Amino acid sequence: MRFLRLYGTFIALHLKKLMEYRIDFLTGAVSFLINQITNIVFIGIIFSQIPDLDGYLFYEIIFIYGFSLVPKGIDHLLTDNLWKVAWFIVRKGDFDKYLTRPISPLAHVIMEFVQFDALGELLTGIVLVVVASVKLSISYTAGKIVLMIIAMLFGTLIFTSIKIACSAIAFKIKQSGSILQIFYMTSDFARYPVTIYNEIVKNIITYIIPFAFTAYYPASYILRGNDPVFCIGGTVVLSLILFGFSLIVWQKGISAYESAGS
Amino acid sequence: MSNIKARGIGFINTYKAFTKAGVQSSMAYRASFLCFVLGESLYCFVMYFIWKAVFSSSGNSTFMGFSMTDMTVYVFLSNLVGFLTSTDSTENLADEIHDGSIIMRMIKPVNVDFSLLAFELGNKVMMITCVFLPVMIGVEIYRFTVLGYCAFHIGNFLLFVVSTVISYLLAFYLNLIFGYLAFFLMNIWGFSILKGSLIKFFSGSLIPLAFFPGAVRVVFEQLPFASLVYVPTMLYMGKYSGWEIVFVLAKQILWLGVFIYISKVIWKWAQKRLAVQGG
Repeated sequence: MRFLRLYGTFIALHLKKLMEYRIDFLTGAVSFLINQITNIVFIGIIFSQIPDLDGYLFYEIIFIYGFSLVPKGIDHLLTDNLWKVAWFIVRKGDFDKYLTRPISPLAHVIMEFVQFDALGELLTGIVLVVVASVKLSISYTAGKIVLMIIAMLFGTLIFTSIKIACSAIAFKIKQSGSILQIFYMTSDFARYPVTIYNEIVKNIITYIIPFAFTAYYPASYILRGNDPVFCIGGTVVLSLILFGFSLIVWQKGISAYESAGS
Repeated sequence: MSNIKARGIGFINTYKAFTKAGVQSSMAYRASFLCFVLGESLYCFVMYFIWKAVFSSSGNSTFMGFSMTDMTVYVFLSNLVGFLTSTDSTENLADEIHDGSIIMRMIKPVNVDFSLLAFELGNKVMMITCVFLPVMIGVEIYRFTVLGYCAFHIGNFLLFVVSTVISYLLAFYLNLIFGYLAFFLMNIWGFSILKGSLIKFFSGSLIPLAFFPGAVRVVFEQLPFASLVYVPTMLYMGKYSGWEIVFVLAKQILWLGVFIYISKVIWKWAQKRLAVQGG
């Protein structure tokens, strides 16, 4: 309860900042939007020459792509400060301040910053999912929608957990931004059907860095009615396991933390 | 004559220090360098698998004039060129402008762009030996096993080297101009994301420009971005012949001249309005 009230205060603060720096916000959001558009043009060009990609139609690929942007965007919106922990908060010795506050350092780090740039990504994702759903005339039931939202939320948790675990490595080695970047980049694989990859890549993004559960598997349940126990259940179970693991890594990291800087 | 020689040596000595600092800094950030390389290769593999799926879905052995072997070479090589010609010292310049430490560079009796270039030279030496050579050899081994003969062409390779050097300088001055924008803009981060995705798109890193429909393709090929990645890669693959080669290289040089000129103009202008805050 107290947590939510605090978070509310932080968000109000950010909205004020947003109003102050409108141009900056627009540059950021538009940048992420254009980044997505170039990728969609890429898919469009491929499909101008082939009827389907590994059995998936243009709008099915667009659906999966859009779906992948939603968890990614929500995570980007809410937990962007973890990047700063990985890149420089620890290295510059600025992490000390979080340890002196009466709330959990992790909660504080996350609450402290809301990255509104992410709205560019998030809105593109939602628009693509809606457009693709209409074009493919997917019949939604209440159950399906609920499962889809659950998958998106727990998919977000997969992103966040990976960011927590990777940024916690910085407590040991001072700077883990580039490690985080590699793990984060593997999410690019998840934007396309996993069936196009070889077994090694497929198993890695399904079980080890389970980004396939942030988009392809849940989307394949919606599109093709694939087994929901695996496709949605897998997202929930793996994200919880990963989240637990990332909290352990974070705790271990904090106890190993020695302040850097002067 | 001896006077010119002495000045030449003086010039080299001055900037050698920057190059040495560049080597040292890339040694110091070995881990992040390695991670960066790993991330780039990951991206190449994503593209490789996508194109493989495209080829198997299309049922043809060629896709818009490219075979799967061509495509693989293209994916790895174009990203390699992008990687080799990437410059981050200009982003540091933006930081220096924001925190005012740019003044330290300005009061030294050196040229700003030469000092940055010399610094990066150190960086590039490491990139070429640790990344470029292994990947290029890997690509050639791949081509040899698939085609059954050695497709490596020394003439094309030399053209590629020349073109990549020009492309690097072009990227450098383009980035320098972006760096100078920090004099006027605050959200340089959002802007660099935008720059990154536009370059990726228009330079042919994401899709070979040859795949765009007629008129769009012609326009894209004239833009300076095409000279960044697409031209060197296509030269390596031997996709140009005769006068085309002269023409694309001339275009690269022309754009380089334009960018050097623009950067000089902005620099002169920005120097006048620079107000360093704090100390």
